[in-house]
Amino acid sequence: MTLDRHEIASALRLADPALSRFDPLRRIIAFDDFDRGFCGWTQLVGNYEDTLDAMHPGYAQHSQAMLSTLPTWDFGSHGGFDGSYALKIATRPRAGARNVSIKRLTFRRRGPIRLEFYFTFKPEANELRLSETDVRSIGFLYDLQTGDQDGDAWRIMPHLRFLNALDGAHVQKWQFKRRNEPFAAVGAGNKTVTHYHLAPEGWEDIAGGGQRLCYNEIPTKVNWHYCRFDFDLATMQATGLACNDREFDLSGFDSMRIPAMRNLWCMLNLAFFVETDTDKRASLFIDSVCLSGDF
Amino acid sequence: MLRESQAAVVARNEEWRGASATEPYEAGWASEAVVFVRALKDAVGAPGRARVELSPDGMHWVAEGSAFDLPVRAGEVTFARVAHFGTWLRIAADLPEGAALTVLVTWHLKA
Repeated sequence: MTLDRHEIASALRLADPALSRFDPLRRIIAFDDFDRGFCGWTQLVGNYEDTLDAMHPGYAQHSQAMLSTLPTWDFGSHGGFDGSYALKIATRPRAGARNVSIKRLTFRRRGPIRLEFYFTFKPEANELRLSETDVRSIGFLYDLQTGDQDGDAWRIMPHLRFLNALDGAHVQKWQFKRRNEPFAAVGAGNKTVTHYHLAPEGWEDIAGGGQRLCYNEIPTKVNWHYCRFDFDLATMQATGLACNDREFDLSGFDSMRIPAMRNLWCMLNLAFFVETDTDKRASLFIDSVCLSGDF
Repeated sequence: MLRESQAAVVARNEEWRGASATEPYEAGWASEAVVFVRALKDAVGAPGRARVELSPDGMHWVAEGSAFDLPVRAGEVTFARVAHFGTWLRIAADLPEGAALTVLVTWHLKA
């Protein structure tokens, strides 16, 4: 029996307990297991010039992510999928508040990329009730821009979220956002702009995107979920979304599309976010992330 | 392995008045921390002192024992060192009536 390179690589990955739970494309661009630290995930800070007062309030609310053992008041640390730590992104305790963590890269090749991650979410467990509608949403996005020599010059921002609850209703569905938000100048230097792409308006449903995720039975127990998002940098089109046992139809999906900016060529940013539906902190926990590319 | 180290900005351009505190920061992996407070603007009145607080759960807080003067002039920095703090950290202050301070608060954490 002869095996080709792809089969050997696949067999090695399947034999590696850390990678076996992922289905990466040929080349792993980043494998972030938060038992190894923050792995380059940082706070999404808003743009400013001259004074921090110029920062959009939607960004000003952000704060730094944490390495968390998912500690609970009633039984102690929950731990990660396969170790002690996960990346924790937590909102402030104000309905509608959001927090975002980001990893900033650039790409080498315009082709298919695959984002896979294991996640869970919970509100702050400060009430003795299930609290399953306290987290509004968890989501993720890419912030991409074509190369400086490419014929098409666009900044492309695919946004997806799992809308868990809205105004107390347990909605549980996947959504996307393609609506551009207006740009505004920051400061007087004409070098910096801001646009609040995570503004709460303009989200649209993914067809057939309802999904009842395992939530467990008290506000402190969590179960980890798998998510996969496929995107083609060549066409700047989304090609697949899966969560646990479900695969979703992205034929109606689109991304925010903005004329290229002068300083963001080949940008490959990925970000996770969480929003709270009540005056209670909401947290998104990411155990591990695998970003891979077909090159 | 290098020791894990992290700088975390937990309050940026926030105006503190009255009872004020940073958001809970979870850092059970760290064995030592320094918290810096920088005044981004001149304080209004005398802001007084801040204290380090610990928590078993991120919801119930108790004074750790460290306390330090809050900065008064724009650009002034004050700090406190903390070790053996468990998992959760925050700083809190009770500014006197009429006092206000715009803060930048940064934790420097090390395994």
